[in-house]
Amino acid sequence: MKLIFAGILAGLMASTAAKADEMVFTSWGGTTQEAQTKSWAEPFTASSGIKVLQDGPTDYGKLKAMVDAKNVTWDVVDVEMDFAIKAAKDGLLEPIDFAVVPKADLDPRFSNENAVGSFYYSFVLAWNKGAVSGEPAGWADMFDTKKFPGKRTFYKWSAPGVIEIALLADGVPADKLYPLDLDRAFKKLDTIKSDIVWWAGGAESQQLIASGEAAFGQLWNGRVFALQKDGADVGVSWNQNLTAADVLVVPKGAKNKDAAMKFLATATSPTGQAKFAEASGYAPINTKAKAEMPADVVKGLPDAHVESQINLDMNYWAEHRDEIAKRWYAWQAK
Amino acid sequence: MSVEAKQGIAPLRIPAGLGGLLPALILIGLFFVVPVLALLLRSVTDPAPGLQNYAALLGDVTYARVFFNTFLVALVVTIVTVLVAFPVAWMLAIMPATLASVLFGIIILSMWTNLLTRTYAWMVLLQRTGVINRTLMGAGIIDQPLPLINNLTGVTIGMVYIMLPFMILPLVGTLRAIDPMTLRAAALCGASPLAAFRRILLPLSLPGIAAGGLMVFVMSLGYFVTPALLGGTSNMMLAEMIAQMIQSLLNWGLGSAAAFILLVVTMALYALQLRLVGVRRSTGGA
Repeated sequence: MKLIFAGILAGLMASTAAKADEMVFTSWGGTTQEAQTKSWAEPFTASSGIKVLQDGPTDYGKLKAMVDAKNVTWDVVDVEMDFAIKAAKDGLLEPIDFAVVPKADLDPRFSNENAVGSFYYSFVLAWNKGAVSGEPAGWADMFDTKKFPGKRTFYKWSAPGVIEIALLADGVPADKLYPLDLDRAFKKLDTIKSDIVWWAGGAESQQLIASGEAAFGQLWNGRVFALQKDGADVGVSWNQNLTAADVLVVPKGAKNKDAAMKFLATATSPTGQAKFAEASGYAPINTKAKAEMPADVVKGLPDAHVESQINLDMNYWAEHRDEIAKRWYAWQAK
Repeated sequence: MSVEAKQGIAPLRIPAGLGGLLPALILIGLFFVVPVLALLLRSVTDPAPGLQNYAALLGDVTYARVFFNTFLVALVVTIVTVLVAFPVAWMLAIMPATLASVLFGIIILSMWTNLLTRTYAWMVLLQRTGVINRTLMGAGIIDQPLPLINNLTGVTIGMVYIMLPFMILPLVGTLRAIDPMTLRAAALCGASPLAAFRRILLPLSLPGIAAGGLMVFVMSLGYFVTPALLGGTSNMMLAEMIAQMIQSLLNWGLGSAAAFILLVVTMALYALQLRLVGVRRSTGGA
């Protein structure tokens, strides 16, 4: 009996902590993490000899728990940028060692002291051509149930995006979005609330649009890219596409910090970023990456649609995350 | 048994053979009691000492709505489960043993299939472009797809399906113990089938209904996956709200308080179940 017990305890303690020549990379799973493994982890292991263990999905609660308990088993984590800003303020992140990670070519929009860009993406308007007659031209059409009947799908969680879409649709100019007028946004959202189907994850958003369960919706551009690549009859409008980013962070007290910094250097390198963008349809955060990519891939990236692009304000969101979340979920539950 | 009953509130004496239970007790202590105490502690210390988390939970309209939703869904699911399970259980109780064991196998098999898979299967069936709506529309029975998903209907269908075995199994046990002759006697005395059901079968099967019903209710209270996938945002249940507080809002104090309230309610219901079933057995048991 004692033996069994000791065995169980030993097993629990070993968990996923990596050895000296290993490190743990955590991301959101699915096609995105597959692309990250192929584009970053495999070349990194080949050149450095450091094995990269994959874990996931990213869970902010778990990250905080690890740091609080001083038992951090994740070395590099892919998180949303507004969370990274907040987490850095709460002391959950290590500073990035820019002596190891070259900073010069990183897009300054998506990097700061505690985070380097992972990739950036745009929320775009996508529709199922079989379920929609005509072409929605922009966010305002998603609120026009007469002209465009049918269910519309939006991102379920409190995050940068939907509030801004409602305000833009209501006529707020792009440069006057912040500070967000929440009352106005929820009032606008109320007008279509019964027609909204929420998507909680990327795969769900694809399924909803591809099946016509939702006629159109607000999707991550990479997910639309994947749908079109699979031959789904899906249209896309880049008008007022809204950029946000995932960033890579190192949790405070990560056991393999040195390996983590080297991994970040590979992940944010022009080559790493170019390969990942090609595989995922998300945009590189290294300004030199585009030179290494085929022209037709570059055409499909958010980078090709900057003239109508709006940057979601990550700093604003990081600061007001909790208060917006509270109102958001209260509104949803009504 | 009688020895135990006599002991009652007598001082705790370590019964023989407890040594063998020790590993289990340590395991429960380490992995259940300690975390629960930590949870309770956090709910009154995070972010500052005091009862503000409980005050926030109990004083807020949104949270009140989520609590109400949780109990409403659990209640509806329990009632529908009883209504569906009773005829099935009765059929299983009276049919030939070999056939019944095959059907039992099918019911239990469904419990072994992954919960997420089964819930996704319901999504495919229930959605607007799903099998059910397409069939009905193709047959010309309806013009517009029925709203079967992202609402209370979807949650109820999905959860009843998952809960059925937990209701059927205890119910079959109770029904099998009922002497079929009692029904024949009722018929001989001139009772209509309905009267025989209402006055003989139903009262005799109440312990099984109570046991299964409370189990289903308690399990439903803490359900997460099915309501999250088949319900709408206005059907949010407590478990989903707790997950949100812990995972994305990182408001652990509030999440702990909500989890603790759920735990207390569940424990109270469990105590009620023990009492009810115990009492019924001692009075109704022949």
